[in-house]
Amino acid sequence: MGRLLNELPVGYCPAYSLDSDIEINAQIPENLKRNLDLGLPNVTESDLLRHFTNLSRKNYALSTTFYPLGSCTMKHNLLVSERIAKFNNFTNLHPYQNSKTIQGVLEIMYNLEKDLCEISGMDYFSLQQAAGAHGEFASLLIIAKYFKSIKQKRTKVIVPDSAHGTNPASATLAGFDIVSLKSEPDGSVLPEKLKEILTPEIAAIMLTVPNTLGTFERNIHEISKVVHENGSLLYYDGANLNAIMGVVRPGDMGFDIMHVNLHKTFSTPHGGGGPGSGPVGVKAFLDPFLPVPKIEIAGNEFVLNYEKPKSIGKLKAFFGNFPVLLKAYVYIKSLGAKGLKNASEQAVLNANYMLARFKDKINVPAGNRCMHEFVLAPKASFKSAIKTLDVAKRLLDCGYYAPTVYFPLIVEEAIMIEPTETESKETLDSFVDVLTKIILDEASSEPQKLKDAPVNTAVGRLNEVEAARNPVLRWK
Amino acid sequence: MNYTSQNQKDKKEMIKTIGVNDVSELFDVVPKDLRAKELNISGGKTEQELLNCFSDIASKNRVLRSFRGAGVYDHFIPSLVGEITGRSEFWTAYTPYQAEASQGTLQTVFEYQSLICALTGLDTSNASLYDGATAIAEAALLALRVNRKDKILISSALHPEYIKVVKTYLESKAKLVFLDVSSFNGTIEKETLDANLDENTAAVIMQSPNYFGVVEDMQVMSVVTRNKNSLFVAVVNPLSLGIFKAPGEYNADIAVGEGQVLGSSMNVGGATFGFMAVKKALEWKMPGRIVGQTFDKRGNRGFVLTLQSREQHIRREKATSNICTNASLNALAGCVFLSGWGNYGFKKLAEINVSKARYAFDRIKSLKGFRSKFGKDRVFFNEFVIETEKDINKINEVLLENDILGPLDLSNHYNVLDCIPVSLNLLRMRMSFKNCLLFCVTEQRTKCEIDKLTEILSKI
Amino acid sequence: MDIPGNLKYTKTHEWVKIDGSIAKVGITDFAQHEITDIVHIELPEIGKQVKKGQPVAIIESVKSAFDIYTPVSGKIVGTNDSILESPENVNESPYEGGYLFVVEFDDEKEVESLLGAGDYKKLI
Repeated sequence: MGRLLNELPVGYCPAYSLDSDIEINAQIPENLKRNLDLGLPNVTESDLLRHFTNLSRKNYALSTTFYPLGSCTMKHNLLVSERIAKFNNFTNLHPYQNSKTIQGVLEIMYNLEKDLCEISGMDYFSLQQAAGAHGEFASLLIIAKYFKSIKQKRTKVIVPDSAHGTNPASATLAGFDIVSLKSEPDGSVLPEKLKEILTPEIAAIMLTVPNTLGTFERNIHEISKVVHENGSLLYYDGANLNAIMGVVRPGDMGFDIMHVNLHKTFSTPHGGGGPGSGPVGVKAFLDPFLPVPKIEIAGNEFVLNYEKPKSIGKLKAFFGNFPVLLKAYVYIKSLGAKGLKNASEQAVLNANYMLARFKDKINVPAGNRCMHEFVLAPKASFKSAIKTLDVAKRLLDCGYYAPTVYFPLIVEEAIMIEPTETESKETLDSFVDVLTKIILDEASSEPQKLKDAPVNTAVGRLNEVEAARNPVLRWK
Repeated sequence: MNYTSQNQKDKKEMIKTIGVNDVSELFDVVPKDLRAKELNISGGKTEQELLNCFSDIASKNRVLRSFRGAGVYDHFIPSLVGEITGRSEFWTAYTPYQAEASQGTLQTVFEYQSLICALTGLDTSNASLYDGATAIAEAALLALRVNRKDKILISSALHPEYIKVVKTYLESKAKLVFLDVSSFNGTIEKETLDANLDENTAAVIMQSPNYFGVVEDMQVMSVVTRNKNSLFVAVVNPLSLGIFKAPGEYNADIAVGEGQVLGSSMNVGGATFGFMAVKKALEWKMPGRIVGQTFDKRGNRGFVLTLQSREQHIRREKATSNICTNASLNALAGCVFLSGWGNYGFKKLAEINVSKARYAFDRIKSLKGFRSKFGKDRVFFNEFVIETEKDINKINEVLLENDILGPLDLSNHYNVLDCIPVSLNLLRMRMSFKNCLLFCVTEQRTKCEIDKLTEILSKI
Repeated sequence: MDIPGNLKYTKTHEWVKIDGSIAKVGITDFAQHEITDIVHIELPEIGKQVKKGQPVAIIESVKSAFDIYTPVSGKIVGTNDSILESPENVNESPYEGGYLFVVEFDDEKEVESLLGAGDYKKLI
């Protein structure tokens, strides 16, 4: 391992410096003045450049390797989007500039909203939310405010046990109690079972379609019917929208409200953890509750409208993660209607191809077909004390990032694979070969190799128990 | 454009392996009556067309010389920041779930956490939050979790957008009480805090420098707050900590703020990061990702996501927060930004901000028709309030003609505070910011630009 | 699996040691084994009134968190603070050094309804 920043040699002069053309006059009263040492490193630009460049090389990333992280849709991030987002006339703008001087920004946001409506079948979108979970939270606040406005007391939200952890966490944050719904082995929801827990207290049910096992919700018609008959709302978690663009729209399936992850379906990079963007779409009757401001056209000019008295308010300062919105919009303009549909079809083709190659060898709980991703349940194939974690670590040694593991929670030792549309058949074939070999061959013939993995990475398998028992969270 | 890579031959083979006749069969499970018509979405442009098209759209925006701050600031960004955040190994990675293959991201987050701790003088930092506004809301939620009281006192000199976000997050969970700002001093007075603080107060949230640019006496407020066993939440501009007291020095429990000033472009206010640092005792209650140091079997140092049982993917509805994706790349920018200044350079950067702002302040307040809004001894960082008898719309119009983004008109803008329940004091306060301008001067503005600004103002 | 005969048990894998009106509570050897390496524990406040079946403590491993329910109603009169610093004690000594908390209980009947060692063994 390399050194930490504070262990680098102290430079003769630091990496950055600055001069003032105005005399420095910074006398501050004692009671307001900092006395504590700043504790910043003093490192030259060349040392820092090496330090961070070398660190970057310790990352597996989409630009270096196949990254089949299920549910995260690690598709190619368009380079032209990055280039455009760096235009000075986009980066160097202040949010409180007169709207007449940021018409380009507002035009992009306005048109992105229109395109998202068309793709999803919703009537309006808010672009303010910074991530998927942020979008979920906003949506649940909207649901709460809606029921308050029609004077109904609904305090509970149904979340299937196959859902992402953010679903119950967001609903709780918005003040709802969670009713957990046991899903079927393929992750789907049975309308009869759902009916049993649909009481007058249920405000909404949160569904991911296709679900986290990669199966389309075949009873969506019936589900929509029973939910709406109960006066409840249907929420669409857009994490898996990449499977259905141009094929079927959440709005047409009966969903009332949804979020989209632009950093998944719309190709914006994830940045090692963010920034993302989680626009929220609604049917017209929920529009009054969307966050402010709303971008509208007045005459031939785009304007920001803050006058929405029923709005849930603001979710984030200013207007949203504009660079992410811009990149997603560039992506949509790059693909167009045909390209978007083609992307989903290819994503589903790639996933099914991999599934077809796995299915006779390794257990697949959701059956022979999938949408854009699928889950393997390799437990039965493990003869020794091998765990999915060992398989994941061995994959790192073979030059692949590991798929999502131990999720969804309803499948023991789960391996969740999402290839996306931007991977070639050759890449998929090599990956299937390697993973099959690890699970069916190496796990029995060379179990120690898996237990010892990874050995080809920057560090060997790290002790997570020690990290949590005696936390060291900063340099000492 | 099309970014898929299968040729017809590959496709045919794949379809055959799956055992269907064509791709559309894979969608048979989707009910026929729900199928979408062809989407009405333009596009299909080549890279060259996209560049031209977006250049045209970008040209409808105007880049201005900024004398406006109010939460988003035009600061110098060293070249190294773009170089490092532009490395695709960083920007095309996901959240570092597989630690051994993500040491780059994990170590930089660890270093980021260390730098934020150093800057704030607190013990533990998380890996970042969406932005400053949501970081404050999360801090308030943390306080409610820790001491199970139900009242939060909030400075009304907190940025109005932050107030709105805190309200959205907490309205149904706590009683929010706003502390009136003195229109004479531009600060919250100790007496105001005394009058509102009681045994039910979970936390007091104070911003310094506050929305009006004034540096508050956080030490005094912190002592009063902690005497009532409430948590003191300091909302700080991290750049100001180069010279002003660190939250750790005045015993704050939580420090939060907006990280845009640490190496992120203004971006119309989006894609920045929020930071949060806390005392050791609160670390298991923190929201968001945290990276910790550990070792592999051979004794090599490495880094992992840790204290994860706080988080939504494990604890679901009982998690400390719903946050998953945060603002990692912007936090990386912050890490690279902070790492290269050194103690002397960072302090000097803060001093240049103060000096340039003071220079502009002295020039502007001596112009006919302009005067300082607050009493003489008020200390500010890089923003200040000027009261004028001139026509404010005219001022900003003329400045705009000169490609200058002029000061923020507080008489209009303060309406954002409509979200606070109207009190007599608030009405009085709003009246008192009529004809007031909030100026910002960072290290980016030259003496020549400041002189030009004052010259234009003098002629209006 | 170690299941001492002198203790009472719950279906949710807590053990109870009764001494007069005092109940000492911990998790069973089976539970600590299922949880794997314990990294963090949260204990109830002393003096808190608790109701049977209510979650009062949390035990966390690296990848999961478990609610611990009080087997009897009453008042929390003691907690094992040493395990806050050394959570591994619960793994190493679940029935002795790794106990969790002590309840002064109100209702003798609740104690009677707890499982004996034999019944608990059948359960796991």
